[in-house]
Amino acid sequence: MTDTVLKLDNISKNFGPIKAADDINIEVGQTEFFALLGPSGSGKTTMLRMIAGLEKPDTGTISISGRDVTNEPPYRRGIGMVFQDFLLFPHKTVAENIMFPLKMQGASEKDKRENLQWVSNLVHLEGLEERYPHQLSGGQKQRVALARGLVSRPSLLLLDEPLANLDRELRKEMEVEIRRFQIELAIPFVYVTHNQEEAMTMSDRMAIMRDGKMEQVGEKFSLYHDPASQFVASFLGSPNAFEGVVSSVEEGIAQINWFGHSIRARAHDGLQPGDRAVCYVKSEKISMLESGGALTGVLRDIIFKGQYADYLVSLGDGHEITVSGAPMTGLKKGAPMHLDWDPGKADAFRAQGGAQ
Amino acid sequence: MTALRIGKGVQILLLAALYVFLYGPIIYITYVSFQANSVWPFPPEFTAKHYISLWNEENYHSGFVNSLAIGIGTGVIASVLATMAAVAILKYRVRRSVYIAGLFLMPLFIAHILIGVSSLMFNKMLLGLPGNIFSAILANATYATAFAFLVVVAQLARYDWRLDEAAMVFGATPGTTFREVTFPLIWPAILGAFIVSFLLAFNNLEISFYNLGATPTLPTLAWGSLRHGVSEELYALAALINVAVFIFLGVMYVLLRTGVVRLDYKD
Repeated sequence: MTDTVLKLDNISKNFGPIKAADDINIEVGQTEFFALLGPSGSGKTTMLRMIAGLEKPDTGTISISGRDVTNEPPYRRGIGMVFQDFLLFPHKTVAENIMFPLKMQGASEKDKRENLQWVSNLVHLEGLEERYPHQLSGGQKQRVALARGLVSRPSLLLLDEPLANLDRELRKEMEVEIRRFQIELAIPFVYVTHNQEEAMTMSDRMAIMRDGKMEQVGEKFSLYHDPASQFVASFLGSPNAFEGVVSSVEEGIAQINWFGHSIRARAHDGLQPGDRAVCYVKSEKISMLESGGALTGVLRDIIFKGQYADYLVSLGDGHEITVSGAPMTGLKKGAPMHLDWDPGKADAFRAQGGAQ
Repeated sequence: MTALRIGKGVQILLLAALYVFLYGPIIYITYVSFQANSVWPFPPEFTAKHYISLWNEENYHSGFVNSLAIGIGTGVIASVLATMAAVAILKYRVRRSVYIAGLFLMPLFIAHILIGVSSLMFNKMLLGLPGNIFSAILANATYATAFAFLVVVAQLARYDWRLDEAAMVFGATPGTTFREVTFPLIWPAILGAFIVSFLLAFNNLEISFYNLGATPTLPTLAWGSLRHGVSEELYALAALINVAVFIFLGVMYVLLRTGVVRLDYKD
């Protein structure tokens, strides 16, 4: 990457016996929106805190804009941050909160006013400058927190689950807004979340974390469509899982015997015939056919979600498969269903603890 | 659930009894301070002569100034030390913090008279320091710090230290962080610790007595005069101190109610 702003090299961090970061390498470019996605306890917040300087890595180096900041305290890193619980200073007004980073830099009164004006316009906070945080709604607090993070035009903005405390409507609105700020300012945003929808909506690239390890890093499309590990395949989207024994592998496509059904998917982890494998098929990649198909069953229920619907198909032997698609009016409960998918859009991995 | 049920009349009676128990002696002593006959002040016969004789007694003037100095000196030392200890334990989560906290609280369990005697011995015999108001302040600060620590720790347990982290990320050095964020939010706890340690030292008899010798403080004067029976200006003194306390509380109450001073920013 030619315009790297943030660079993490071989970062490791242990809290006692817990590995919070295990040999992490990340590069984030000048205009990138980078999401760190993972379940809670995966080490993504620790990663952010290490970048901010609030936590020290055991090994490895962190550099920002080419400067090694591994041993620099937070107040000499020149970055902005937005915290999950906003962490506005309760004894300071909105204006004082927003201008705090400028005050710390010793900016002139004129400078502070100009930047306050600029950032209040950017995040739509006009007219709230003299209020105190306890007089603001959740959404307004969020905007103040963002304004405070951006006001000094930092070289990098860190966001720690900033939308976790907002309701759904507001979250949708802020997702779009935050992305707009990032494009307008053209600085890298590093965004930590456990919400994959948020990560998908906003980011350019994502890293999936689990147990302190980086499972996969890449463009969000490739992570979603071409998962490289079982965890990523099972974590993103709402996949159906089929576990069985591989009967054959031909041209990269494995055939898996799943309770008598034949399931086909791309083979990963060097699967060989006889191995136990688990195959993931995302619910929207399964098509409903008139006849034939890999699996047949009956429609047990339709969960209408507005723009799409989940079709729950019972296979007779007690197994159930979820298929997502456009809402259709013709289908009735109990209708026969024929399901199939492109084996190139499904992924099979070696089952945990399976035969070698 | 069968809760203990008592009638409303009994409740009011209990409450009244409690207030009489708490405030009866204070009101009585204020009443007596204006009575000509302080041994059996009934029927009332009002006079200000106790106040006049209190005012004319030069000893009480210097005693008041000395008590004030001991109270303020001890209050400052104790609240500063207690705040530093509480921040170390709660913010920086130093190792073995439970034991460290225990060491700070230990002086609470030592009788004041022992602190007085032992600090006199230590200062005079071992270090060769004379007993004076400064050694009295230091000796009072030993146990006042323990009380102040209790007050500060109880309040700071609710403080969100992540605010300090936020300040640091936005460019504040540790010192600036304390000045800009921590102190403006925790000063009521520090003030509380100061008031508690001020009052303890202001009113202390045993520790001050052993470290001061002949230098008078209000408690040593009161105690000294007791040996010749209760002298009447003591009633006036007690009443004045109570009035001062009530004025202080009244001012705090008005400041809090009008929002000039805020103790808590949680919404």
